[in-house]
Amino acid sequence: MAEHIIGPVAELPPGSHRVVKVRNLEIGIFNVGGAFYALPNICTHQFGPLCAGTVNGTTACSAATDWRFAWVREGEILTCPWHGMEFDITTGRCLANPKVRVRQYPIAVEDGIVKLTL
Amino acid sequence: MVAAPGKRKTDDLIIVDADIHVNDTPAALTPYMTQPWRKSLEVMGGGTSYLNVPGFAPALKLDPPIPGGHPSRSVHTPAEMRQGLDELGIDLGVLFPDNLLLFAVLPNIEYATEISHAYNRWLVEEWLREDNGLYGAIVACPQNPHDSAREIARYAKEDKVVAVYLPTAGVHPLWGDRKYDPILGAAQAANLPVMLHSVTVVTPQFPYQLDQFENHWARQMLSHAFAMQANLVSLMHTGVPARFPELKVGFTEAGIAWVPYMIWRMDKYYNEYRRMIPFLEKRPSEYVRDRMWFATQPIEEPDDPRDLVATIKLYDPDGSRTLYASDWPHHDFDHPKGLLKLPMSPEMQRNIMGASALELFGIPAPVRK
Ligand code: FES
Repeated sequence: MAEHIIGPVAELPPGSHRVVKVRNLEIGIFNVGGAFYALPNICTHQFGPLCAGTVNGTTACSAATDWRFAWVREGEILTCPWHGMEFDITTGRCLANPKVRVRQYPIAVEDGIVKLTL
Repeated sequence: MVAAPGKRKTDDLIIVDADIHVNDTPAALTPYMTQPWRKSLEVMGGGTSYLNVPGFAPALKLDPPIPGGHPSRSVHTPAEMRQGLDELGIDLGVLFPDNLLLFAVLPNIEYATEISHAYNRWLVEEWLREDNGLYGAIVACPQNPHDSAREIARYAKEDKVVAVYLPTAGVHPLWGDRKYDPILGAAQAANLPVMLHSVTVVTPQFPYQLDQFENHWARQMLSHAFAMQANLVSLMHTGVPARFPELKVGFTEAGIAWVPYMIWRMDKYYNEYRRMIPFLEKRPSEYVRDRMWFATQPIEEPDDPRDLVATIKLYDPDGSRTLYASDWPHHDFDHPKGLLKLPMSPEMQRNIMGASALELFGIPAPVRK
């Protein structure tokens, strides 16, 4: 386990994300409303560059929304650019298949510096 | 032509891709088009919207856009295609069109004929001239079969033309109609395979024109299974299993082998399009396994009966969602012996032959006298 400096918090404002290379690994760093997340840049489906996808919200529709479409989780959903599988950035879970989950690497902010532990 | 080294573990394996797509914009075909239709293509220009160019790739786009999702990809040059295939570790590929996937729905015969000529010339001159592992399928023109037959003969000697693409989506009548005999005959004479390729198209006729079939065997092939598949997808796409969580649904008179295909297909596209059907909070296959039953008749009869049992297990591991049915007294009824001879566990047999139906219909188990 070693700490890797990603950069100052100011360079990764809320809503932004970027892919970094740490050792041999490509890792997507996400700032979701001030909280940081780190996911591998490789999709579980057919190994697409997951973190090159867009960050968005998604739709919901259930008894709780009176069976009307709602827009939810703005800024928390990552969509793979290859075939559109959606992942919850905050948990790593695939929305279409809860058995599928991408890793989450430990990431934290210390003294204004974003640090990844690997 | 061998893919870039170090890309894959199977370096000694030749990988051939039977279906890759060139981006055939109106602008690309314009220099190959005759007047006055060249003017039409000039008006359309780049046609940058994927599979949606009025008058060229006329798509019926009905859905409002939803933010997110992923962009469509397109390839515009052989070099770009070669690079993409190298990255995928593919050695050789056969080119099909993008926009002309919708070709069969173009109603103007003369215009469609000229488009087919322009596409084929463009393909051969701009994509198939180099030794780069790219091969091509020329497009057939269902709107003008006699001309299309001549076109096929014209390209028969081109080394890198390896197939005839039959525009499949929206074609009316379907490809078995005698109207198309000249095209099929020309392909046969040229020793070129014909390749059916589909895309999403729904028109007033297509794909419902089963009335065109000339005999009952043909109608029987599709009308039952197609009706089931269409209605299963219909129930799913408006969220019926989510909105009516106690509702049980049974499917009868279509056999069962279509079920694994449909659940896999629904799950695959749930991955991609979940945001269009967010009321489904589980994968479609899970709703099927939870709430849907499938009656066996007319039971499929593969040469090896173990294949049938394996097929049932793909959607129903213990037989609890499969219902024996005879269809008695109809002409194609299945005798219980037809099912009892299948090599399955006693539990699975008990379920399929009766216990599943007792559960579904809420019938108390009869006591044997
Ligand atoms: S590789 Fe990510 S959705 Fe297919």
